[in-house]
Amino acid sequence: MADDSIHSRDFNRSARAIAAAWFALIALMLASLGSAYLKLGPWNMMAGLAIAAVKSAIVAWLFMRLRESGALIRLVALAGLGVWFILLALSGVDYETRHVTRSTLQAPQQLQRSSAP
Amino acid sequence: MNAATLPAVDERADPDTGKLGMWIFLASEVLFFGGLFIAYLYGRTTWPQGWAAASRHTDVVLGTVNTALLLTSSAIVALAVACAEDETRQRWTAGLLWATATLGAAFLAIKGIEWHADWREHLTPTASFAIRVAGAQQFFALYFVMTGLHAVHMAIGVGVLAALAHARAHGRAWARAHHVEVAALYWHFVDLVWIFLYPLLYLVERHG
Repeated sequence: MADDSIHSRDFNRSARAIAAAWFALIALMLASLGSAYLKLGPWNMMAGLAIAAVKSAIVAWLFMRLRESGALIRLVALAGLGVWFILLALSGVDYETRHVTRSTLQAPQQLQRSSAP
Repeated sequence: MNAATLPAVDERADPDTGKLGMWIFLASEVLFFGGLFIAYLYGRTTWPQGWAAASRHTDVVLGTVNTALLLTSSAIVALAVACAEDETRQRWTAGLLWATATLGAAFLAIKGIEWHADWREHLTPTASFAIRVAGAQQFFALYFVMTGLHAVHMAIGVGVLAALAHARAHGRAWARAHHVEVAALYWHFVDLVWIFLYPLLYLVERHG
């Protein structure tokens, strides 16, 4: 009986956390939608990405249970993200420092046709 | 040593093994989708006008409905895991897994409607592409690759969750709580990818 009530308390706590996370995720989705209609210049993308980062943190921390996971699983999750950041940095350096000569394939074809005499 | 002192098989097995395996797979998936996100960032900084013009042609209403469906499905599958681990609520697990798979199928159906509309409006990156702004075609090329790969992942997830739901409803031993949790991890990852695709594809600059 005592065990049952402990289980029930654990479940209720989990269910409440899941419900709160769902409300937060929907609210953040609406905030992201609203921000796209504001004239923020480059901050439009920053706002969209920042909100997406908070949403993904909620999903990873609560739904994917990183909050209660051991060091090994947290390390694997961080390693995936860390290696992606290294890829991003190396690709960024390449694009920023390389002179790009566009091939005709990269020019949108309908633009070529519309500018042709 | 008599049989009573032998540890039970379930106690010997490390319940984290499946989870760890899935996390390692998901870390590789981060790099799989990550390359596409890097291509996206390059395109958006190279052709900002084309990217904004193209994004305004995506269906923001259907995109938002799909985002809400996916976020809700993630919450429901998290609840399914909590139920699977709770002896008094285990019977709810199959129903919640079916609900998650159904929301996933609804997402795919809506995505199909969107793709059909994109095709009709000449938004596929072909010679008859409709938007005459440099870079718009590249945006839609990436849009179809990213949403297409995401949909493939969704379809696999729907299949896995439906199989688990069916197995639990019929009392199959392999559909135990640990396996539900591992399948849920995959589903949450598919949700995570969409969380980033939503602002990047549908919300570039809606005010223009």
